[in-house]
Amino acid sequence: MSYAYLFKYIIIGDTGVGKSCLLLQFTDKRFQPVHDLTIGVEFGARMITIDGKQIKLQIWDTAGQEAFRSITRSYYRGAAGALLVYDITRRETFNHLTTWLEDARQHSNSNMVIMLIGNKSDLESRREVKKEEGEAFAREHGLVFMETSAKTAANVEEAFINTAREIYEKIQEGVFDINNEANGIKIGPQHSPTNPSLPGAGGQGGSQGGGCC
Amino acid sequence: MEYFKSGLKSVLGGPQPGAQPTGAETIEKLVDRVTSSTLLEDRRDACRALKSLSKKYRLEVGTQGMDALKQTLEVDRANCEIIGYCLDTLCNITSSDTFEEEQDLLNINIGEQFTEIFIKNTDNVSLVLSFLEEYDFRVRWPAVKLLTSLLKNKPKDIQDIVLVSPMGVSKLMDILADSREVIRNHVLLLLIQLTKGNANIQKIVAFENAFDRLFEVIREEGWLDGGIVVEDCLLLMLNLLKNNTSNINFFKEGSYIQKLTPMFVIPDNIEELGWSPQKVSNIHCVLQLVRTLVSPNNPVQITSVCQKNLRNANLLEALCNILMANGVPADILTETINTVGEVIRGNLNNQEYFCTVMAPSNPPRPAIVVLLMSMVNEKQPFSLRCAVLYCFQSFLFKNEIGQQQVVQTLLPSTNNNTALTTGQLLCGGLFSSDSLSNWFSAVALSHTLIENPAQKEQLLRVLLATNLGSQPVSLLHQCATFMQQTNKLQSKIGLLMLLATWMSHCTQAVAIFLNVPGAMAFLTAQTSATEYDNNEELLQGLCAFLMGICVVFNDNTVANYSKENLSQLIEKRVGLEMYISKLSEISRHEVYGRASKQPQTKAKYPNDLILEFEYCKLFKALESVIVKTLGAQKQLSNDMTELSLSEQENGLLLQYKDVIRDQDRRLQDLNKDLMRITQERDNLQVQNEDLRQSNLQLQDENTLLKAQLSAGTVNSETLPNTELPDPDLLLKLKQLEKEVSEKDSELEQLHKDQDDLLELLTDQDVKLTTFKNRLRDLGENIEDEDSDNNSIDETDVK
Repeated sequence: MSYAYLFKYIIIGDTGVGKSCLLLQFTDKRFQPVHDLTIGVEFGARMITIDGKQIKLQIWDTAGQEAFRSITRSYYRGAAGALLVYDITRRETFNHLTTWLEDARQHSNSNMVIMLIGNKSDLESRREVKKEEGEAFAREHGLVFMETSAKTAANVEEAFINTAREIYEKIQEGVFDINNEANGIKIGPQHSPTNPSLPGAGGQGGSQGGGCC
Repeated sequence: MEYFKSGLKSVLGGPQPGAQPTGAETIEKLVDRVTSSTLLEDRRDACRALKSLSKKYRLEVGTQGMDALKQTLEVDRANCEIIGYCLDTLCNITSSDTFEEEQDLLNINIGEQFTEIFIKNTDNVSLVLSFLEEYDFRVRWPAVKLLTSLLKNKPKDIQDIVLVSPMGVSKLMDILADSREVIRNHVLLLLIQLTKGNANIQKIVAFENAFDRLFEVIREEGWLDGGIVVEDCLLLMLNLLKNNTSNINFFKEGSYIQKLTPMFVIPDNIEELGWSPQKVSNIHCVLQLVRTLVSPNNPVQITSVCQKNLRNANLLEALCNILMANGVPADILTETINTVGEVIRGNLNNQEYFCTVMAPSNPPRPAIVVLLMSMVNEKQPFSLRCAVLYCFQSFLFKNEIGQQQVVQTLLPSTNNNTALTTGQLLCGGLFSSDSLSNWFSAVALSHTLIENPAQKEQLLRVLLATNLGSQPVSLLHQCATFMQQTNKLQSKIGLLMLLATWMSHCTQAVAIFLNVPGAMAFLTAQTSATEYDNNEELLQGLCAFLMGICVVFNDNTVANYSKENLSQLIEKRVGLEMYISKLSEISRHEVYGRASKQPQTKAKYPNDLILEFEYCKLFKALESVIVKTLGAQKQLSNDMTELSLSEQENGLLLQYKDVIRDQDRRLQDLNKDLMRITQERDNLQVQNEDLRQSNLQLQDENTLLKAQLSAGTVNSETLPNTELPDPDLLLKLKQLEKEVSEKDSELEQLHKDQDDLLELLTDQDVKLTTFKNRLRDLGENIEDEDSDNNSIDETDVK
C-alpha cells in the first residue's frame, strides 16, 4: 500500500473516444465493449513502478459530453498529468483537440504533462486519422504521442506509465514543486519530509532502477 | 446605537431638528449616494450606513439598494472596506433568520425572496465566489457568510451555479486551509451545505484533497476529544461518501480507512473520564462514516474491499472492543452493534473473527451470546435489541458455517455442557411471554435457515421438553402449536415468518407441519376470514402464504393433505380469487414497503416490528410460484377427472393401470416367443424337404442297382452255360457280388435311416401342431394350409 509518490491524472477528450475503456483496461485489465456514458467524473487507481519506486496513480475519468465541460474543468488544476484522447476512426474528435488543449492549458498548472492518445488502433480498416497527423499535432504542441487500443490493450500500460515517467523526470529536475498538493503530486507517507530539492540518485533519464529501495 | 447615529450623521450631514426622516427616505438618500457619489469615501460611508440599517429596515434596503450594492461590488472591488460593507449588507438582507430589531415581522420569507432576486443573475454568485480569493479578512469573511446564507435559502440553485462557475468549488476548498479558524470553520459549514446530495460537487471536493485536509484538521483538534469542528469535518466526509461509490473508491484507494484508527482509541479510564456530549456526537459520526463505506446498498465489490480494509486496519477489532467495554452509553453501543453488523455482513473472514470475540464476563462468554442475551431481555432498550438482531442477521448472512454452528447448539447430541448457547437463548425467546422476544427470536432463527437446506432438516431434529414427564415435541411442532395459542399479533407474525422460511423448499418440514393438530385448520380459518381489524389483514396474508407453501412443497406423504387436497381446500373454502387477494395483502401493506427497502429493520416503536427484509424477499420469490401452482392444479381438475376421483376410486384406477401394464408386458413376451417358433418351424421345413430329396435319390439308385443286380444274375447264370467262366469275369463277378452285398447293406441302412427320419418327422409334426394350437389359443390366426401341405408331404414320402 505504501508508495513513494502519488500522481493525479485526468483523462479528457470527446465523448465516445474510449476514455473510460482505457481506464478500465489499465486498472482492471479488461475491456467492456458496451460502456455507459460517464456522468460527471469517475475515479480509478493503480500502483505502478518507475525506477524501482512505487508510484500510485489516481485517475479521474471525465465525461466527454459538452454538458459536463464546466464540471470537468474543475479537475484540471489539481492534476499532474492528463491523457488527451481522440478516436482514430472519427476525424471530428481529432479536430476538437485544439479546443481541448486550450481548455486544459488555461485551467491547469503550467507543468501538467499532457499525453496525446489516438485510441482504437485495432480498427485499422476504419481509420480516418493517420498516425503521422497525430505525431505532427503532438510535436507542434509539445505533447507526448501514442496510439493505443483499449480493446487489445496495446500501448495502454505504456500510455499511463510513460506519462508517469515524464512527471517523475520533471520532479527529478526540480520543475514540479512537490510540496504544493495543488500540483497533483503527493509524496508517500513514509517518504515525506526528506529534502525534496535533492532528487534520487538515479537522476536523469530515469533509466535503470537505482538500488536505493 | 451611538455608532449607528454617528454613521447617519456623517452621511446625512447632521440631524435636522423637527423633521425626522423616515427609514425609507434615509435609505433612498443613502442608495442615491452609493450610486452617484464620485468620492470613494462618500460611497464607503453610505455603504456602512446601509449595512447598519439593513437589519432594521431590511425590506427597504433590499428593495432599493440591491442594484446599488451589486454595482459597488463590481466597481469598487479593489477597496476591501467598501466590499466588506456591501457583502455584509447583502448577507443581512438575504438571511433566513429574523432579526430582533427587524420591524416588518410579517414577511417571513423575505430573506429567501431577496436571495432569489440576487441569484437570478448567476454572475452575481460568481462575483461573490471571486471575493473568496481576497485574503483580507474584511472581504473573505463576509463573502463566506453571504454564500452560506444564499445556500441556506436556495441550496439547489447555488449548487448548480457553483458547479459551473470556473473553479468555484476549488476556491472554497482553498480557503479551507485558511489559518484563521473562524473562516476555516465557517467554510466547513458551507461545504457541508454545498455537498449535500450533489455527487458532482462531492467528487470535486474529494479531488481537491478534502480528505487529507479534513484529517489534518481533525488531528489538530485532537481526534475524538476535539470539539464541534471535528464533528463538522466528519459530517463533511460523510456527505462526500454517502451513496458516492467513486468517492468511496477514492477513500479506500487513498488509504484513508487506516487514518480512521485514532478515532477508535478509547482510553482505559474512560469510565472515570465519562463521555462528553461532544465525544458522543463525534463517535456517532465516525460510526456513520464506517457504515457508509460498507453499506449493503453499495456495490458488493466495494463493500467487500472496504470490509477487508477495515479488518486489516484493526478497526473491526476496535469496534468489538467498544462493544465489550464498560460504561458505553446505550446509543453509542447500539450504533456500534449496527456498525459491527455491517462490517461483517457477508464477509466470511470478518464473520469468523466476530465469532471468536469473547466478552470479559465471568465466566467468559462469546460476544454473540452476550448480545443475544440482550436481545431477548425485555429490560434492554428497544433500539439496542433491534441492533443486536441486525448484527446477528449480518453474522449469518451468506455464512453457512455460522448458520450450522447456531443450529448445532440445539441438537441433542451436543447439548452436554451447561454453558448458555445461542440456540438455547433463541428457543427461550421464541416461547417467552414477551411478544417482542418472540418476534426477535423467530426472525433470528429463520436466518439460520436462509438458503441452507441442510439446516432446515437439521432443525427438524430438535426436540423440546415442554412439560416435565410429558413426551418431548419437535421444535416445529411447538412453533405451530404456539402460533395457534398465542393471542399476540407480533408473536404470531414472527412464528409465521419463521415457519414460512423453514418450510419453503423443505418437503419434510411441510409434512411435519401438516401433521400438527389444528395447524391447517388455523391457517384455513385465518385465510377464509372476511372481517379483520388493525394489522389482521396482514396476518391473514401471512397465513395464506404459509398455506401456499404447504401446497407447493408438498410431497403427498401426508394422507388427506396431498397437493390436490390442499388446492381443493383452498378452492372450496377460500376461493382462488379470494386467496390471491389475501396473498397480495402482504405486498400491498405499507410495512412490506418499509421492510423490503433495506436489510436493517428500522422501527421507532416496538409495535412497528412486523415484517422483515428476508421474509419479504422470500415472499417476492414465491408468491407467483404459489399462484401458478394453484392455477395449474385447478386447470388439472377441470380438464381431467382423474384428480376429482375419490381416494378409493383413485386406488382402483391405479390397480387397473398396473394390471394393464402387466398384460402388456406379457403380450410382448409371447410375441417374441411366437417369432422364435415360426423361425424354428421354417428351418425344420427346409430340413424336411432336403431329407425327402435325398430319400428319392436313394430310392432311384436302389431301383437302378436292383435292375443291375438282376441283369448281373442273368448274365452269370447264362455265361457258364455257354463258355467256361472266364477267371477274369469270375473275379469281376465276385467283385460285383461283393459290391451288391455292400449296396444291399447300404440300402438296408438307408431304409433304417429313412425310418428314423420319418419318425423324427412325425415328432416334429406333432410339435408343430401343439405350437399351432398354442398360438391359436393365444389368439394368433394361423392358416391351415401349412398343416395340410405338411401332411401331403408326409404321405408323399411314405
